[in-house]
Amino acid sequence: MKKEWKKPELQVLDVR
Amino acid sequence: MIKSGNISLGHSVKQIKGNIVSNMGGEKVMLSVKNGKYYNLGEIGGEIWDLIEEEISVNQLVAKLMSNFVVTKTECEKEVITFLELLLDESLIEIKDSL
Repeated sequence: MKKEWKKPELQVLDVR
Repeated sequence: MIKSGNISLGHSVKQIKGNIVSNMGGEKVMLSVKNGKYYNLGEIGGEIWDLIEEEISVNQLVAKLMSNFVVTKTECEKEVITFLELLLDESLIEIKDSL
């Protein structure tokens, strides 16, 4: 069964 | 070398190794010691990350995602390429002309 698609996004956190 | 904004379906894509990757609550999270950054790729981004562990063409990547998700070809192509460009900007993937 196919899953629901959501726009892929990249969250970035600068650890430094 | 392929620069961001120039990725097309004919290119091939592959992870750059060396990051610490984990699954957290269904989402893929990653720490790049080299970049000093922490990334959350989310659920779909995590699926994409797994699929690019070995070199794969963007076209094949889209086809695999379309077989797993309810999405149109146009939407999938556009959103996957945008996502790959974000990964490329962070030097997390390498893009080459397809074999």
